[in-house]
Amino acid sequence: MKKECIAMLLAGGQGSRLYVLTGDMAKPAVPFGGKYRIIDFPLSNCTNSGIDTVGVLTQYRPLELNSYIGSGQPWDLDGSTGGVHILPPYQGSKGGTWYKGTANAIYQNIGFIDLYDPEYVVILSGDHIYKMDYSKMVERHKEAGAACTISVMEVPWSEASRFGIMAVDENDMITEFAEKPKEPKSNLASMGIYVFSWKALRKYLTEDEANPESENDFGKNVIPAMLNNGERMAAYRFEGYWKDVGTLDSLWDANMDMLSPESGLDLHDESWPIYARSVNAPPAFLGMKSHVTHSAFNRGSVVDGTVENSVLAPNVKVGEGALVSYSVLLPGTVVEPGAVVEYAILGEGCRIGKDCKVGGTPESVTDGTWGLTVLAPGCTVAEGREVRPGVMLNRNGEEVSK
Amino acid sequence: MNGLHGIIFAYEKRNDLRELGEIRSASSIPFGGRYRAVDFALSNLVNAGVTDVGVVLHGRYQSMLDHLGTGKAWDLSRKRGGLRVLPPFNYQQDWGVMPFRGKIEALAGVRTYLDTIRQDYVALMDGDLVVNLPLADIYESHIKSGADITVVCGNDSFATDDGTYFEKNGEGRITEVLFRLHQPRGYRGLEVYILSTQLLKDLVDECSGKDQFSWRRDVLQAKKDSLYLRSYIWKGFAAQIRSVQEYYDRSMQLLDPAIRAELFTPERPIRAKGADKSSTYVGPEGRCVNSLVAEGCRIEGTVENSVLFPGVVVEAGAVVRNCVLFKEDIVRANAQLAYIIADKDVEILPDRTLMGHATYPIVLAKGSKV
Repeated sequence: MKKECIAMLLAGGQGSRLYVLTGDMAKPAVPFGGKYRIIDFPLSNCTNSGIDTVGVLTQYRPLELNSYIGSGQPWDLDGSTGGVHILPPYQGSKGGTWYKGTANAIYQNIGFIDLYDPEYVVILSGDHIYKMDYSKMVERHKEAGAACTISVMEVPWSEASRFGIMAVDENDMITEFAEKPKEPKSNLASMGIYVFSWKALRKYLTEDEANPESENDFGKNVIPAMLNNGERMAAYRFEGYWKDVGTLDSLWDANMDMLSPESGLDLHDESWPIYARSVNAPPAFLGMKSHVTHSAFNRGSVVDGTVENSVLAPNVKVGEGALVSYSVLLPGTVVEPGAVVEYAILGEGCRIGKDCKVGGTPESVTDGTWGLTVLAPGCTVAEGREVRPGVMLNRNGEEVSK
Repeated sequence: MNGLHGIIFAYEKRNDLRELGEIRSASSIPFGGRYRAVDFALSNLVNAGVTDVGVVLHGRYQSMLDHLGTGKAWDLSRKRGGLRVLPPFNYQQDWGVMPFRGKIEALAGVRTYLDTIRQDYVALMDGDLVVNLPLADIYESHIKSGADITVVCGNDSFATDDGTYFEKNGEGRITEVLFRLHQPRGYRGLEVYILSTQLLKDLVDECSGKDQFSWRRDVLQAKKDSLYLRSYIWKGFAAQIRSVQEYYDRSMQLLDPAIRAELFTPERPIRAKGADKSSTYVGPEGRCVNSLVAEGCRIEGTVENSVLFPGVVVEAGAVVRNCVLFKEDIVRANAQLAYIIADKDVEILPDRTLMGHATYPIVLAKGSKV
């Protein structure tokens, strides 16, 4: 079945910088914004952009992600001629290996892509929160007659040295690419979203695989090789909200951004819906003594306490007299009466005992050790216990270091 | 084949739902913040292991067809069996002229379907019943008891519009079948019956041959001595949505945690179609207490003692008390609402005030602008 354009979604990230929060799941399966998981964003962007065939490359702890994606029906990606396909590494007749790098992951699935014989392949990553019309980017790729188009956005000059930076000419064609440059020549940062002409990419992937020196990575190897060979490389300027949520701080930030549409992340805007596989539960109930302000909540939750500046996933319970402030509570967490949770991310199914104190405000710590308090999925904090700001607990409730 | 088959009666009936019933049959009326009434019957059946369900439709069923789809939300989209939507294809009367006069007429209207039922037993349910019954247990006790028909009754003081009431003896056998009572007495029938498929077909053929159309009069009442009618008394929450007042009172009961625990017991989850909406958001000045709130709402004003369906917006300064607001309703700044049931897509303009009363809630028709 010939397709003009298909998408390949790199979802194999371990999420090691999310530490205990990922538990037994791959990073793209981490819950976000109350009712979503990170992977809902690229999948919904695909379906909204008219891309109906998506390969999802998984490797680490894929069970939860696989069962979440299922048939792809929540994203309308269960069509008979395409749909979403989970692509783990596999053994062929000549053996097989783990995905060695982002480029190798695509290389190992050349066979899958060839099934659809596409003109263009969109390469996406599974750890970004953003709404983007990929069809416009493909349009730009076609108009520029490029072999590769890279989505870029302007970042503050002061932060430019943290990104892959593109230098461009007057037509926004890329002239130079530098990974985390000390002295950036531009403030156009790569968002890790690429459109390739499949013929060109296929050739470069094959060459890259043959090079034993290569780390088989798009940013480090394939893109530089294409630039050096003088391929036409276009930049596609993206304006709007985009955030890499690969770290605990950025994941928390993005959740807070969701509460304020002024941030650019407006999930109530239904012109570009983000779809999710939703849990089945009755509507949320806010009790007589509840006090909920500047917060988001979801199905199955029962709030009898105070919740401010926080994001509550489905099936969360906040008991009477409890306070949840500037926190992100993942599905099924329970905060018992009288407990206080501040500046924390609580993993799925955490239980905070009565009168516990978890985390604290930045002002509460003066010795410079302040940080978010993060609890692993399934962690239980016994009644009355105090968990200091910046501390991370594993599922057994033991402190672990970052 | 051993097992239970489900038939849900979702055809239009006489009721007192005012504007809420003008665009839909009672079975597809939104209830409880995210459900349609029929979700309860469907979920009751599916939770009892029922794999084949027929839904009998007649009149104003566009809304119901949209809602049911392929039956996927209830796992009833199957290669064999699953959901069957049953318009009255064997109906003898003129199409669209006469509503069904009773369940027997409705079953005669889909008579050939009855022959395709694979299971030996059938559960009959009404689409306007909001309940969470342990139907698997009721089925099992039906088989053990040797009864011809098990009649499920409620046990609370609620009366319902045009209800059927039963009296029983000490062994649970039905001794009286009553309806059109001025003063209801006995046990309120929930219009849930279990009987064998063969008996059902025999009864339908016998009655329709004599132009009898009423299940309760021509079967239950007429045959209460020749058939063994056994009662099953359900002590929990059971609402029949047949009038605006009943709809309103039953909705408000959901604010009671004990009632919600009964209706939404995790052992038997009520399934519904999802809504692709974001989380609900309460703003810095918003206040929302003692309310059941679905997803995708935005609350900047005050909400008390209310049920909010997905996507409701309550702007700053607006006050919503004791209301049921359907999907996508918008209450503009500083408007005030009390005891209102607002159908889908209603907009209340700024500074408007509308008050009903607990004994006379005001209904706003779909799409109206106040």
